[in-house]
Amino acid sequence: MTFLSPLRRTWAQRALVAALVRRELAARYRGGSLGVLWSFLTPLLLLLVFATVFRFVFAPRADVRPYALFLFGGVLVWGFVSAALSDAVETFRANGPLLRKTTVAPEVFPAAAVGARLVHLLLALPVLGAAIVVATVRGGVRPGAALLEFPIVLALLTLSVFGAALFVSALAVHFGDVRDVVANLLTVSFFVTPVLYPVEAVPERWRWLLRANPFASFFSGVHDTLFYFRPVSSSGWLWMAGTAAVALAVGAATFERLRDTLAEEA
Amino acid sequence: MSGPEPAIAVADATKIYRRYVRQAHGTLKSALLSRRLSLRGEGGVVALDGVSFTVASGESIGVIGSNGSGKSTLLKLLANIVRPTRGSVAVRGRLAALLELGAGFHPEISGRENIGITGLLLGLTKKEIAARFDDVVRFAGVEEFLDAPVKTYSSGMAVRLGFAIAAHSDPDVLLVDEVLAVGDEAFAHRALEKFSEFERAGKTLVFVSHDLGLVAQRCRRAIWLDHGRLAADGVAGEVVARYRERVAAEEGDRRTAGAGEGGRIGSGVASIEVVRLLDRKGRPTARLRSGEAASVEMVVRAPEALSDFVFGVQIATVSGTIVFGTNTALEGLRAERLAGDARVVLEIPALDLAPGVYALDAAVHARDGAPYDYRRDVLRFEVTAERAGTGVWSPARRWSFSGGIRWKE
Repeated sequence: MTFLSPLRRTWAQRALVAALVRRELAARYRGGSLGVLWSFLTPLLLLLVFATVFRFVFAPRADVRPYALFLFGGVLVWGFVSAALSDAVETFRANGPLLRKTTVAPEVFPAAAVGARLVHLLLALPVLGAAIVVATVRGGVRPGAALLEFPIVLALLTLSVFGAALFVSALAVHFGDVRDVVANLLTVSFFVTPVLYPVEAVPERWRWLLRANPFASFFSGVHDTLFYFRPVSSSGWLWMAGTAAVALAVGAATFERLRDTLAEEA
Repeated sequence: MSGPEPAIAVADATKIYRRYVRQAHGTLKSALLSRRLSLRGEGGVVALDGVSFTVASGESIGVIGSNGSGKSTLLKLLANIVRPTRGSVAVRGRLAALLELGAGFHPEISGRENIGITGLLLGLTKKEIAARFDDVVRFAGVEEFLDAPVKTYSSGMAVRLGFAIAAHSDPDVLLVDEVLAVGDEAFAHRALEKFSEFERAGKTLVFVSHDLGLVAQRCRRAIWLDHGRLAADGVAGEVVARYRERVAAEEGDRRTAGAGEGGRIGSGVASIEVVRLLDRKGRPTARLRSGEAASVEMVVRAPEALSDFVFGVQIATVSGTIVFGTNTALEGLRAERLAGDARVVLEIPALDLAPGVYALDAAVHARDGAPYDYRRDVLRFEVTAERAGTGVWSPARRWSFSGGIRWKE
């Protein structure tokens, strides 16, 4: 199972990954007077925009109410996926000197890119929690125990994103246009993934197409746990676990194959 | 040549940097279009070519060579940053590589935070970092700036901090690449002291430097890399001396190439059209062996007939010391007539010059010294010899001994 060694090494270097994540966050908020508060303000602003726009400008979807809450959970999680993969593409360029001049295991960089974005998402969750409370008080939703399944959805999604991050970060070192390919794929994926709409909104005969999208099951899971508060179906769990396993295996194998060349080419 | 368990064992290490990125497919698109996603690019740069050596535990070894000779690649192989294309590289024990001081520093976060993260990058545990923290800070002398972002540090402070962290990581093998060049005198002194401490503690030190004096002085042994190959491996002083000779010779080539720009003065009543140095077989050359026959040939032109003319030749070192000079008047030749084209040859049966690069002046002038055509530094040539000596003269010679003197084979 040598192709899984990138995963083993990442685990062995978890203290370094954590330190790199902290460094990333510290560096980002250093110098700003609001500091880490931005992690709350940004999603809060997004939520207010959604709430306002879909009240006064666009008609909200009738099948998912309150639509702003529906949107908010999906968009936050999508933001994590999209930013993590975009950062992963750049990570070896950004950390080139470290890679060329120290004996560090290169796996830690895509891991830290994903980790930092995950922390951003976690910092935004209190805002989501507050939105759910407000919606509950106003009688829009009735939260249930299924909410507790969200962390598992997020964990499986994070593993999948890490697998994809290993894949794109290593490829990006060798091929200059991986960045553009990833950026475009993310844009397209945003619309063919049930982020803005529920799976049910897709006509029956096109649903298979949605299933082929590896992200779809996760966003169904996000909507199940954060909006409908219904347990994720067992087929949903299977899809998520399967996607995570495949993403990790393919990502790790690709990374392992290109690993020796990273320090030379980055 | 080393103990039973060397700290470093390099066997036939070859590193070829592939060049696929700048070659066939720099982009994914072109790779897909050419249906060659394989990363086995054709050709490459041979950075290291079949290098083998071992370093005993506790030994200090210097690595010298010109830029591009493979020194940095060797260090990267030792540090396990890149893998050899062929051969093997084995290092025993904890290794710290000072390839670039402060390479891991993030400018936006504090010195304190950077110490933590750099320590982790060097393979220390959090506990070990905490235990060494105060020593690191004291060595670097950054106490007052510990909580300021590293971007506010002077470059000297950043270098000291980078060095301090690596030096306190307690490695068994320390790789040092030219780091002393970046700091000030005081820092260099402290760093050298630290190296001595390492040696006393029985650690292994690999020291890459362009400071040949430092290598000769610090290391008992040195290896010399030349175009990726191991050119020499031995006592540091001797390897450094051999390397210096080579550099001087190459410098000589460069300087012989720069001849003919010394200037030309004279009335032009007569002119020197061509000056050539000929070897013993009469072939033009710029390189001669010491003691060989040589001749200087001049093609001279006088449009109108002259009765007052002197031909002269002078040889000087490139630094300007006159080695030898003569002219036809000094040799007792009395001019009668020079008209049209003429050829002048000065033969020297044995050119007993010491190895080095020499510049030649050629002239035709009046007896009172007024130049018709004086060509300074008109050509340069290099003299080589198997045996070096000092000075500019290298006569044929032989030692003889008698009595209680014996020489090794």
